[in-house]
Amino acid sequence: MVTTMKHEPVDVLIIGAGASGAAIAWSLLETRMRILCLEQGTHLPDADFPSRRPDYELARYGEFSCDPNIRQLAQDYPINVDDSCIAPVNWNGVGGSTINFLGHWPRMKPSDFRTRSLDGVAEDWPVDYATLEPFYAMNDRNTGVSGLSGNPAYPDYAPELPPIPLGQLGQTLAKGFNQLGWHWWPSDVAILSKDQDGRQKCVNAGTCDLGCAAGAKGGTNFTYWPMLERAGVELRTGSRVREILIDPATGMATGVLYHGADGQLHRQQAEMVILACNGIGTPRLLLNSDTERNPDGLANSSGMVGRNLMFHPLTGVSGVFDQPMKGHEGPMACSILSQEFYESDPSRDFVRGYGLHSGRSTTPMTFALGGYGIDRPIPWGAAHREIMDDIYPNIASLTVVAEDLPDQENRVTLDPDLTDSDGIPAPKISYRLGENTRRMLKHGEARAAEALRAAGAHTILSKNDDAVWWRAGWHQMGTCRMGNDPENSVVNGWGRSHDVKNLFIVDGSIFVTAGAVNPTSTIQALALYIGDRIKTNIATLFD
Amino acid sequence: MLTTRQTETLSLILNDVIPPSADGHVPGAGNAGVASFLQQATPYDPDPARVVLTVIETVLEIADDFSSQSPQDRIDVIIRVQAQHPQIFERFLRLTYMGYYSQAELRPLFGVAAEPVHPSGYPVPSESSRMMADLTAPVRARGAVYRPADG
Repeated sequence: MVTTMKHEPVDVLIIGAGASGAAIAWSLLETRMRILCLEQGTHLPDADFPSRRPDYELARYGEFSCDPNIRQLAQDYPINVDDSCIAPVNWNGVGGSTINFLGHWPRMKPSDFRTRSLDGVAEDWPVDYATLEPFYAMNDRNTGVSGLSGNPAYPDYAPELPPIPLGQLGQTLAKGFNQLGWHWWPSDVAILSKDQDGRQKCVNAGTCDLGCAAGAKGGTNFTYWPMLERAGVELRTGSRVREILIDPATGMATGVLYHGADGQLHRQQAEMVILACNGIGTPRLLLNSDTERNPDGLANSSGMVGRNLMFHPLTGVSGVFDQPMKGHEGPMACSILSQEFYESDPSRDFVRGYGLHSGRSTTPMTFALGGYGIDRPIPWGAAHREIMDDIYPNIASLTVVAEDLPDQENRVTLDPDLTDSDGIPAPKISYRLGENTRRMLKHGEARAAEALRAAGAHTILSKNDDAVWWRAGWHQMGTCRMGNDPENSVVNGWGRSHDVKNLFIVDGSIFVTAGAVNPTSTIQALALYIGDRIKTNIATLFD
Repeated sequence: MLTTRQTETLSLILNDVIPPSADGHVPGAGNAGVASFLQQATPYDPDPARVVLTVIETVLEIADDFSSQSPQDRIDVIIRVQAQHPQIFERFLRLTYMGYYSQAELRPLFGVAAEPVHPSGYPVPSESSRMMADLTAPVRARGAVYRPADG
């Protein structure tokens, strides 16, 4: 017989200590409600991040891989990716995927929230850029953002810290974009260019994906969590939620059942449950919380839980230059960003658009193994020597980051056989690339090659043979989308479940569209906005 | 545990997979001691011992006199191994590259610091305000390029 341990009820139970869970906890601090966060992973001290070890690069392919199916740590759950051309990647632990994200921090744009009205595709969001703008700014202050004000690709705003160095690589590419008359701008980054709040500025180590031992990168382990713990938010690590409990009489959430670090099954009661488990973990938990009354999963009267999964499909082009590009020096993904092809243009054979991101920090091992997110070792033998001696040092790359349109057939379901170490059914991903995205990527590859040539590259190398990067499912969005219509959305315009009035979702699963930018800045701005709405509506919150 | 013959064969294979530079300044993978990494590579492959043994045994099946062959003949043998066992050989390549490029003493030969990158990192100077203004001037001159919410 399984023993269930009970705990004192809390006011707010947040599931997941990553980007969105931390942000909404901070937003709710002023309510003085009792807040508990359950996190399935551990709170890894920064001294344990691999970049202080001599063999730090190996960690990328073992215990610090971005792919949970490779890491297979106790806190990870497997993901069936047999039916997908992109493998989701993540980190499970305090900080969530901000532990191993690359800190690129562009905002979504005004048009991203209005794709139905402007372009006739997908759906409009129930919130807009102007509404989120103050929450972007609030989140930037809490995170520490470096960048250059005056970017003509956005309504005016000013990053607090000066940009991180462009370096030889960024300067070279910028001149190429200027040659073509195309937009580019120093990347906004959640990486400190100056010491701030006891955190060290970036030392250009190029190991952003290995945890940032300097604390320069704005993972919530360095930003929100120190504030939250000082303020008394309880963080229970090693706590994996099995299901959300529902009162059959009222249909309201009463709390959760979770497997604790002690190996026991625990029952935690709460007045309000907030899901912050990312675009795969959140639908997985809702689908695992099915009951007689909710046979298709909790909060799923619309049938949209798990559907409309969006990634940012990536491809890349490299140019070989006459001089060293020093690509391993500096933050991994962040130097410059071109949004010349971001907005829809009727002259193209696709709608919406993409960004061209300059990548850095390709170390010899990563390069030899095919590049970050790609599993295809470079040739061996004499060709290997030639590539490493003559091409590797002089290479600069552009990554095409494409907007993915929602498609109901791209989805998260539960695998009938696969489970995690607690026996909880694991997610299965079904994902294929849409024709619009294929055209967009093809266009992007050609423009990237053009930019590299204009910057002085004498040789262009395509790394992918028309395939998108495999291990590149960083951005998991859309699987519990927000909307005003309960028949085709899971949560309302401020993150509350249409079906369960005291259940909120704040992670990337509530995105309606994906934009073509890294989503963390928007995920956290949205979480702060939802926190604000909860506070504003507190008297009638569950009506 | 490999036999002496297997060990010698593996070293030759490794030096053919990542050969030394022409001037000998950069060692090949065999001389760099990658074989010892392969013995303890379990965090990076489900069964590295099987991968290594399969490659060695297939090489010796194809060419019992592998160690006395000319460099070009050895390359031809390895190409045949790759064709016979493409997945195993790719795993072998991955492990070889990991074992080679993770060696601290080799990293500086490719422009990367030998020591762990934290806490020192790399000195990358910030662009001056003047330089940044000059670089971004053409972009600013074009004006806004985003689409407003009302189209």
